[in-house]
Amino acid sequence: MKRFKNLLQKELKELVTKQLIISLAFTVLIFNMVGQVSKKEIQKAIGIQTISALDQDGSAGSQALLKSLESARFKIIDQSGKNKDEALAAAKAGDSKLLLVIPAGFGDSLAELRPSEIETYSFMRSFSLIGARGQVVVQSVISALNEALSNNFLAEKLPGIDPAGLKRPIKSRDFVVVRDRTAEGSANMIAGMLSQQSMLIPIVLMMIVIYSSQMVISAVAMEKQNKTLETLLTVPIKRTSIITAKMFAAGFVGLISAGVYMFAFKGFIGGIGDEAASAGAKAGGAALMAKLGLTFDTTGYIILGISLFLAILVALAMAMILGVLAEDFRSAQTMIMPMMFMVMIPYFISLFADINTVSLPVKILIMAIPFSHPFLVSQNIYLGNYGMIAAGLGYMLVVFVILVIYAARIFSTDKILTMKLRFGKKKTQTV
Amino acid sequence: MSNVLTVRGLHKSYGTHTAVAGIDFEVQAGEVFALIGPNGAGKTTTLRIVATLLTSSAGEIVFLDRDHKKEPDFVREKISYLPEEAGAYKDMKGMDYLRFMAGFYARTDSEEKEFVERAAAITELGDRLKTKVGTYSKGMTRKLLLARALMTRPVLAILDEPTSGLDVLNALDVREIVRRYVKEGTSVLLSSHNMLEIEFLSDRVGLIDKGRILDTGTPAELKTKHNAKNLEEVFRSSLR
Repeated sequence: MKRFKNLLQKELKELVTKQLIISLAFTVLIFNMVGQVSKKEIQKAIGIQTISALDQDGSAGSQALLKSLESARFKIIDQSGKNKDEALAAAKAGDSKLLLVIPAGFGDSLAELRPSEIETYSFMRSFSLIGARGQVVVQSVISALNEALSNNFLAEKLPGIDPAGLKRPIKSRDFVVVRDRTAEGSANMIAGMLSQQSMLIPIVLMMIVIYSSQMVISAVAMEKQNKTLETLLTVPIKRTSIITAKMFAAGFVGLISAGVYMFAFKGFIGGIGDEAASAGAKAGGAALMAKLGLTFDTTGYIILGISLFLAILVALAMAMILGVLAEDFRSAQTMIMPMMFMVMIPYFISLFADINTVSLPVKILIMAIPFSHPFLVSQNIYLGNYGMIAAGLGYMLVVFVILVIYAARIFSTDKILTMKLRFGKKKTQTV
Repeated sequence: MSNVLTVRGLHKSYGTHTAVAGIDFEVQAGEVFALIGPNGAGKTTTLRIVATLLTSSAGEIVFLDRDHKKEPDFVREKISYLPEEAGAYKDMKGMDYLRFMAGFYARTDSEEKEFVERAAAITELGDRLKTKVGTYSKGMTRKLLLARALMTRPVLAILDEPTSGLDVLNALDVREIVRRYVKEGTSVLLSSHNMLEIEFLSDRVGLIDKGRILDTGTPAELKTKHNAKNLEEVFRSSLR
């Protein structure tokens, strides 16, 4: 135990360097700063926006449109008295997001219920989505006005008939059924909320896998590069202890680093997500999810935690073997690529397809990748597929044990010194 | 004199390439036994097998009356190995490196302290031990590594080309350190292709070429047997 502690201390000291601490602190700072800047921009976009309006009509109808826009939190700069080109130039020179041109005859057309055209000119000073938000709001105001005008017309022409019923004679009430529970709501909304919730799992997994694996691979590769591996292998410490110390140190530092990055990422996302999402929609969705039993209890979180933990162990064991193949620190950096693909493949497939309905060969491929299983855990918990969960956990455990045995075998035999992956040659060679 | 190490019929192959083709030798207690030969002769492979880094393809090694292959953990407790191209952790200070390595062998804190003090004395690096290894010259690093190998007073020190790449003065220092420690009871198995150095340093010599031992004996015996002035001439004669 004393020898293991001695080696573990050295591994931790090697990994926790000033550079790492500075880089983590810098990341938190940068992400938070970007988050805050984004938050301010979103607040600006959601808050009062300045638009210019050229009302060439001056009718009650055009005035009603402008008043509606004012009540939708727009500050309107009146460009009346100018022609269109002058109004465009004036609006462009100022800080207006958009110029709204209401042509002459707009009010008359409305009164006669003929289609009326208005023009909007959006000034794209940047290409961010938030920058184009002004036009979206104007369109929704116009759409609300259209609705009100057509309702008024229908109520006038066909008294006693509900205009809404006339325009949409078929109404649907949507219900979602999950296992034995039914609730009124949209399946789209549920899918959206679930994917939003489970988005965090692949990001967390990817971060931890990449950080920890990179540290293990580098730890082994650096021993080779610094010519310290041979000496370490002849000191009286069990080879399995060398593997465990390296994996433990890298796993620990990887977890801490990933945690810090997640904290920074949360600061960044928090700046954007919370402001953009409507609180009402969130509450409604949460109530619907609760009704359908799509919530995580303590057991659910424990299962998810075990699944993530096993995935990390698999990654560490895999990284240990890849580290042996690397000849130096530089080649160690390329060794991380296969692991990144193994995490990204199930992530992207789960984004665009239902893993349960893909073709059998693709399904086998996905299931064979150990990192797929943490992605599937949350939906399997919701759907009560505990057999699938157990099989996934069991599979990861088996893969981990096999990899550790193989890693221990490499460390206990000549392979630790002779095994190299030679890029550009056909196969792994033992020299 | 009793044998610390006995090697019989040692073979090592990598696929179709044979690195060691059945060699026999022994290292007696308190002696320096040197394997000398050209590059690629099989010296390093032999030393790596004895140091438990590689496993033999065939043959038998007995270390302190125990089966070397079956009890590698026991062997590692009693030996120390200095590879030809060894390095130390560059971000560690010299003293921290010695402390780290002593931590694997010492059973108590006082024993660890004793090992580190001994190593510090061997290196003669003084205050430079408080600086990072990455700032050391090649000679300083080699002395640090040699001190690490000898600080525990191992039963057998395995030194692969101990003076390789060193200037004359550093090489002389290293040789003197090795000789001093043999007097204190450590046996040494070393390799070199510098035959003049071996003549000065070793009690007995094994001439090795193409994985085979050509001849074994004290430098004086070999010179007489081959009617040669030095070991270089002995080696040339034994190749014929």
